[in-house]
Amino acid sequence: MSRDRSNQIHVWRLLLLWGIMAGLFGVLTVRLWNLQVSQGREYQRRLVKQSLRSVRLPGARGRILDRRGIPLADNRPSYCVSLFLEELRRPGSVQRTVDNVMTVLDRLSEVMDRPRALFSQDVRQHLRRRTPLPLVAWKDLDEEAIARFMEHESEFPGVALTVEPVRVYPLEQQGCHLLGYVGRADVSKLLDQAEGEDVEKFHYYLPEMAGKSGVEKRLDGVLRANAGGKLEIQVDVVGFKFDEVLRRVPGQGSDVVLALDARIQQAAEELLGDDRGAVVVVDPRNGDILALASAPGYNPNDFVPSIPSSIWNRLLKNEGRPLYNRATAGEYAPGSTFKPVTLLAALHSGKVKADTRYSCPGYYQLGSARFRCWQHWGHGSIDLKSAIRYSCNVYLFNAAMACGPEAIQEMARSCGFGRKTDISLDYERPGLVPDDEWKRRTRHDGWRDGDTCNQAIGQGALLVTPLQLAMYAAALANGGTLWTPRLIHQIVPVDGDPQEILPAEAAGGPDWTPRHIRIVREGMREVVNAPDGTGKRAKLPNIVVAGKTGTAEYGVKGAGNKMTWMIAFAPYENPTVAVAFLVEDGVSGGTTVAPRIKALLTQVFAEAETGAASSPEGGEG
Amino acid sequence: MKPLKAWARTLLAQDGLAILLVAGLLATGLTFIYSASWRGEGIVGAWFSRQILWVIIGSVVAFALMLMDYRFWINQAWWFYALSLLLLVLVLLVGKKVYGAYRWLNIFGILVQPSEFAKVAMVLVLARVLGSPGVRTRSFGTVLGALILAALPFLLILKEPDLGTAMVLVPTVLFMLFAAGAALRHLFGMGLIGLVLSPIGWLTLGNYQRDRIMTFLDPSRDPLDSGWNALQSAIAVGSGGFSGKGFLNGTQNVLGFLPRTVSPSDFIFPVLAEETGFIGASLLLLAFLFLLSCYIRTAWTSKDPAGSLLATGIAGLLFCHVFVNIGMTIGLLPITGLPLPFVSSGGSFMVSTLAGFGLVQSVHVRRMRRED
Repeated sequence: MSRDRSNQIHVWRLLLLWGIMAGLFGVLTVRLWNLQVSQGREYQRRLVKQSLRSVRLPGARGRILDRRGIPLADNRPSYCVSLFLEELRRPGSVQRTVDNVMTVLDRLSEVMDRPRALFSQDVRQHLRRRTPLPLVAWKDLDEEAIARFMEHESEFPGVALTVEPVRVYPLEQQGCHLLGYVGRADVSKLLDQAEGEDVEKFHYYLPEMAGKSGVEKRLDGVLRANAGGKLEIQVDVVGFKFDEVLRRVPGQGSDVVLALDARIQQAAEELLGDDRGAVVVVDPRNGDILALASAPGYNPNDFVPSIPSSIWNRLLKNEGRPLYNRATAGEYAPGSTFKPVTLLAALHSGKVKADTRYSCPGYYQLGSARFRCWQHWGHGSIDLKSAIRYSCNVYLFNAAMACGPEAIQEMARSCGFGRKTDISLDYERPGLVPDDEWKRRTRHDGWRDGDTCNQAIGQGALLVTPLQLAMYAAALANGGTLWTPRLIHQIVPVDGDPQEILPAEAAGGPDWTPRHIRIVREGMREVVNAPDGTGKRAKLPNIVVAGKTGTAEYGVKGAGNKMTWMIAFAPYENPTVAVAFLVEDGVSGGTTVAPRIKALLTQVFAEAETGAASSPEGGEG
Repeated sequence: MKPLKAWARTLLAQDGLAILLVAGLLATGLTFIYSASWRGEGIVGAWFSRQILWVIIGSVVAFALMLMDYRFWINQAWWFYALSLLLLVLVLLVGKKVYGAYRWLNIFGILVQPSEFAKVAMVLVLARVLGSPGVRTRSFGTVLGALILAALPFLLILKEPDLGTAMVLVPTVLFMLFAAGAALRHLFGMGLIGLVLSPIGWLTLGNYQRDRIMTFLDPSRDPLDSGWNALQSAIAVGSGGFSGKGFLNGTQNVLGFLPRTVSPSDFIFPVLAEETGFIGASLLLLAFLFLLSCYIRTAWTSKDPAGSLLATGIAGLLFCHVFVNIGMTIGLLPITGLPLPFVSSGGSFMVSTLAGFGLVQSVHVRRMRRED
C-alpha cells in the first residue's frame, strides 16, 4: 500500500481530532467533579427538600388522677377507617383519583352501613394539602361497624383500620370545672412549646389535643408530650407517599396526680344537686383541695374533639352558666361566715375582750339609721362566744365600731380575702375587701360608719370566692395557717421520678394570738353543737364539727334573694377537713346548707374510716 | 477449507479491546435500565426486556458487518444514501407523530427512526466521496460538495423536527473533512458562514426548541416546564456525590422527579451518576474515551482512506452523542433529547450504533499489517 496519494490521511490530523475529543471529555469530567464532589452536599440538600416531608406525631397525653389513682382524665382508642391515597391514586388528572376515592368511600359506606362522612371537595382538599398523609374517612367507629369492615377488608386495598387516641373523662360531669377539657391544638402554639434550642418545624401536623380550660389548660405543658414523634415521608414527584421512616418515637406526657378525692368530689356534687352553688373541701393540715365543685356543670366529653354547636349553644344560653366555675370565679358576699374575721380583728385590737358583753335590743342605732339584727326581738346582753353561736349582728356592729374598719380590713386581707389564692386554675377572681381608698376611687365618697357595720357582718361591697372562704375555714381549723391551695400532689413522668408538689403557706397569712382563735373556735363549735346554735343541723353524732353559717342578701334590697353559706371544719380537736359550702338562693345558711354539710362530712368520715379500716366489724352501726 | 480459514483469521484479527469496551458499555446500559425501570420488589418495567432484545439484534448486525468487507458498503454508499433520503421524506409524509415530532416510521409493526439509518448512510457516502482515489480534498469544491451531501439529511431531520440528531451531523462532517485533509481556511470559512446564518436558523426553529435553548441559558426561567428535566437531572447527578448511593438506591427516577418516560433513554446517565457517583460517571467517560481511541487507531491503520474516513465518521457520531447527551444532563448544553450510545434504551439507535461499531471493526480487521 502506498501512502503518497493526494488524499492521504494525515496522522497529525487524526491525533488532533483525538486530542479535541479527549479535551472535551476533560471538560465533562471537570463539570462532573464540580457537581458531584464540590457541590454534592448542596444537591443532596435540594433532593431532600423536594422529596422528604416531616410529620409531627403527637405523643400520648398524660392522665389526670385523683389522690387514690382513680383516673379523672384518660385516653381511649378510637377506631378509624383511613384511606391510603398512594394506593388509590389513578394516573392522569386529579379528578380521576378523586372519583376513585369517592367510589371506594361509597362502597365502604355500604359495607359498614354508615353514611359517608366526606365529600369530594374534602378529598380534593386533602389531595392538594396533605397528599402523603392517610385520609381519615370515619372516626370513632363502633364495634359493629369495625366488624363489618374487617369482614370485607381484603376487598379494599389501600384502606385500613387505624387507631387514634381520644381524651375521655370517665367520671363525666364530675369535677368538670376543675379538670377542664381539651380541644384541637393550635399548631403555632405547638412550635412555642417544642423542646430544645431550635424550634423544629414540620411540614405536617397531625391533629393534637391541647387543654382549653381547668387543669387540662394550666398543666398542658406537663400533660402533653412536648417532644412529639417525627415521621419522615419520602414523597414522589406528585406528592404521594413512597416510603416512610420513623425518625423519633413520640414522647409521652406526664401523669398528674391531684390532691382531689373523687369520692368527696362526687358527694359534694350530689349535695349541690340541681341548685346553683359551689363547694370547696380543703385539708387544713396542708391545704389540699379535696373537692372543688361548682353547679351546674357540663360534660367535658362533649368537647372532644370539638363541641357540637347545638350543645355549645345550650351551654351558653343556660342561665345557670354551667361553664362558669363558681368556686374560684364566683364573687359573693360572705355574710355571717365573715364574722370571725371581725371578731378576731376586734380581739387583736384589744378593744374587745372575750368577756366583753354588748346588749342586743334587736337593732343598732347609728345616727338616724337603724341596723337590724336578724333576731328582731334581740339577743339580750351576750358575750363574744355567744355572739358567734347566735350570729348576733348587733354584737358585731359594736365590736367593729370599737376596733375600727382598718383593723377589720387588715384582718380580712391576712385571711386571704381580696387577692387570688394562686390555685392552678384560670379565671380565678380576687374578690374585694373594700376600704376608704376603694370607696373614694369608685364611689367618690368617703368611708362611713355604716360601711363599717355592713362590713362587720360580711355585707356591703365585700366579695369573696368560695375557694377563699374554704382556705380561711382551713386556717380557722388549724389555728392560723393560711395555705396556698394545693391542687396537685404529684407530676409523674413516664420515665424518671415523680415530682412532689409540697404544701405551701400563703404569704401574709394571719397572726392570731392562740387565746383569741381558741375563743372563736369555741364559738364555732357551739354554732353546730349547742341546741340553739344556728348551724345545729350540721351536728354529727360521733365527730365534733365546728362551723359558721351565713346568709347574705344580694340584689335589690328587700327582694329576698339570698346567698346561703356555711363554713365548717372537723374533727374539732385535730381537724382534717374544712369546707366552704355555698347554695345560691337558699333559705338560710342554717336551714339550706347545714344539713348538706352534715351529709358531706358524714360521707367524708365514712370514707376515711373505710379507707383506713382493716377490720370489717370495726363500725358500730 | 479456504473460506473457513479466512473467517478464522477475520475473527482473530478483531480489536479485542474495543469489543470488550462495547460489551462492558452494553452491560452497564442494561444494568441501569434495570435500575431506571425498577418498580421495587423485583418488578421491572418493559424497558429492560425490550432492551435485551435490541442488544441481541444489534449484536447480530454488528457481527455480520464485522465479517463482511466494508468496501462493499462503501461501494453501495450512494444507494444507501438515496434510500435514507427517501425514508426521511417518507417519515415526513406518513410518519408517526410522537410528542409533536415525526421521527418514527411504522414498518410491519416495528417503529424505526430513519434518521438513525441516515446518519450511517451519510458517513458512508462521505467516506466514499472523500476517500475515493484522486479526489482533491483541498479544493473548495470538494468541501462544498461534501457539505451539500450532509445538508440534505440534516435539513430533512431538522424538519421532523429532531434538532439533536441533526446537530450531531455537523461536527461529524467537519471531523471527516478535517481528517480527509480539507484546507483549514475552508473549514473556518464554513464555520463563519454558519455563524452568520445562525440568526436565520433561530427564526426557523420551533417554539419549543427556542424555549429549550432559552431555558438552558437561564434554567430558573421556567423550572416546572422545560427547565424541569435539566434541574432534576442536575440534582440526580449532584446528589450522587463522590461514590454514589448504590445500585437501585437512586431516588430521583424512582420518585418520578426524573420522569420515568425519559430516565431509561435520554436520561440514563443521571440514573447511573446518582447511583455510582463521580467514580462511576468518570469511569464511564473513560470507557468511551478508550473506545474512541480504538476507533481513531482503526482510522490510522486503515488500508485505504475510505476505511479511515469511515472509522473517523463513526467516531465523530459516537463522540457527538456522548458529549451532547452527558453535557445536557449536567447543564453544559441545552436539553436536546439525544440518547447515550450503547447505554440508553432505544431500538433503532442501538442497532445503528452497533452497526457503526461493526463497520469500524470491519475496517480494523482489514487493516494494514506489518507482515502484509
